[in-house]
Amino acid sequence: MFDKHLFACYNSGMITEETLQILAYSAKFDVSCSSSGSKRVNSGGMGNGYPAGCCHSFTPDGRCVSLLKILMSNDCVFDCKYCANRATADTRRATATPDEICSLTVDFYKRNYIEGLFLSSAVFISPNHTMEKLLLTVKKLRTEYGFHGYIHLKGIPRADEAIVREAASYVDRMSYNIELPSEQSLRLLAPQKSKESLLLPMRSLSHEARVFREEKRKGYFLPAGQTTQMIVGASPESDGQIIRLSQSLYRGMGLKRVYYSSYTPVVHDSLLPELPAGQLREHRLYQADWLLRFYGFTAEEIAPEGENLPLDLDPKCAWALRNMQLFPVEVNRAPLEALLRVPGIGGRSAQKIIEARRYTLLTFEHLKRMRVVLKRARHFITCGGKFFGAKNELAVRGFLTAGEQSGNAEQLSLFGSAETARAALTGEL
Amino acid sequence: MIYFFDGTKAAFLTAFLLAFPDREAYLTSGQKQLSLGQKTVFVVADAQRAEKAEKRLLALDKGCMKELDLLLRSGESGHDQTAFRYLRLIAEKKQPVRSMLAEECVAAATESLRRVGTEIHRMHGFVRFMESESGALYAPISPDHDICDLLVPHFRARLPVPFVIHDVPRKKAAVYDGKNAFLAPLDRAELVLSANETQWQSLWKRYYQSVNIPSRERLKQMRGYMPVRYWKFMPELK
Repeated sequence: MFDKHLFACYNSGMITEETLQILAYSAKFDVSCSSSGSKRVNSGGMGNGYPAGCCHSFTPDGRCVSLLKILMSNDCVFDCKYCANRATADTRRATATPDEICSLTVDFYKRNYIEGLFLSSAVFISPNHTMEKLLLTVKKLRTEYGFHGYIHLKGIPRADEAIVREAASYVDRMSYNIELPSEQSLRLLAPQKSKESLLLPMRSLSHEARVFREEKRKGYFLPAGQTTQMIVGASPESDGQIIRLSQSLYRGMGLKRVYYSSYTPVVHDSLLPELPAGQLREHRLYQADWLLRFYGFTAEEIAPEGENLPLDLDPKCAWALRNMQLFPVEVNRAPLEALLRVPGIGGRSAQKIIEARRYTLLTFEHLKRMRVVLKRARHFITCGGKFFGAKNELAVRGFLTAGEQSGNAEQLSLFGSAETARAALTGEL
Repeated sequence: MIYFFDGTKAAFLTAFLLAFPDREAYLTSGQKQLSLGQKTVFVVADAQRAEKAEKRLLALDKGCMKELDLLLRSGESGHDQTAFRYLRLIAEKKQPVRSMLAEECVAAATESLRRVGTEIHRMHGFVRFMESESGALYAPISPDHDICDLLVPHFRARLPVPFVIHDVPRKKAAVYDGKNAFLAPLDRAELVLSANETQWQSLWKRYYQSVNIPSRERLKQMRGYMPVRYWKFMPELK
């Protein structure tokens, strides 16, 4: 399918520090670093899947390093407005060879620096050329280098389906970035990509994976599924709209995760906001996303379509305050679904409560001992009929927002004042 | 009465039988400040008694010996007493008690187990191997809990070469020689590094520096996920 001799002339030695720096630097704004969801076994080589995922280090920005996150090349023919690697940007370019990437992965993995590879690329020469190079790399890694650790591969829009599907058969997870939360914004800011060029391959891979499972075929086909990522704050979509989009991606496309990346200006362009979107907005979107995936909430419950999530309250608290008629719930009787909707009670606490109450009538003291966090929850529960929360709704709101402000003070100061964060939302968008 | 024992499972179980009727019992394998007039006893492992205790406990709760193994590995003070109170409750209630989270001793045991388990999971990520001239891998660690041999199955399943995980302060090492795994006393390791080892380490450091976003510094969060005490054996943080 592609010319193997072409690669024979590349030397297969160690990648240079400079190339690595350029290609890692260019990849770092990709959010996902998850290595969970794959049970791939080591069949006679090196590496295996670790279903829970594993963080190997943490950088001073507080992010986890799990995978070797690297671009094959940052030499792009596309010209997406928001991107540091767009064709018209004046930046240093580098391209690594498949062998350089393979040996880097294997040697990092052996020393337990990483859990696997997250390979992405700028579109160099053409989408098909790029996708073929990515395929060659992951195929080499699995077959020649005997590597069975985690591989996350980025899909290149507009590449042929056959190449994409073959590449998918070697990796644990694939992702197409939908980039922006609406077709209109995509057309404006990433003119060479289109909704179809991103959604069609996602749909076809999701179909393929389902068939693979249903027919109980041997081997693996995307055991860790698909994910996607979108930039928040570069275009005017509201949180309500974004959450609805995520919900449809989870339901319709069976995605494992949607990542949100708050917009950071790397380029000046009249079409783009001057200010970065707040980190707090990104945080709220992730909280809302967890409510969708693990807490049984629908997008419609979380935020009205045209509105943003409140910044001074987490989305679960905000929902609870809008629905005070449902509270307080009695911890000794409430079903799991109701416990999960109590602010401050997460999946693990809810499970603990359900187990422990089989043996005794739970009191407030018991919950404390069980390490259920009661700072927020106490306003929404009773223990054996006793209530320990604030008297009225206004007081509850006061307690909840006060806690938020002191808790997030440090975080806010990292990107300027709270006002700056809000201005970035309201003023620019 | 205070029951001193050597930290092994057999001695713990022997002490367990002795201490069971004593409501004031305190079991410890470490040091304990004695107050005036306090009675102490040094319990020596008795294989038969230990086996008897183990059988009885296992009949009540199949999972409790695995938990005991983990609880005894904890490096926190008072962990032996936590294990004792937990197992005593199993014996008293004559059934598994791990779901009775409202009981104080169950909550304490659960927390202790969680901390040991968390460190095992963390070490799966934070262990850093160096390659020796022969191709074998060597990693020094200094974990809070006595867990180096529990890390072996994880790495054995994924690495095709022999390796040594050295618990430096406890002066012992978990060794996998390519076929079998065993624990051995080890004070200091002499290591000749492979030709490229330093270069790979410096590539890794460069990678680590490149993926950081300096404008979003969150050191508190970083230290929360990866406490500073683990840094000394990680090349990217040295």
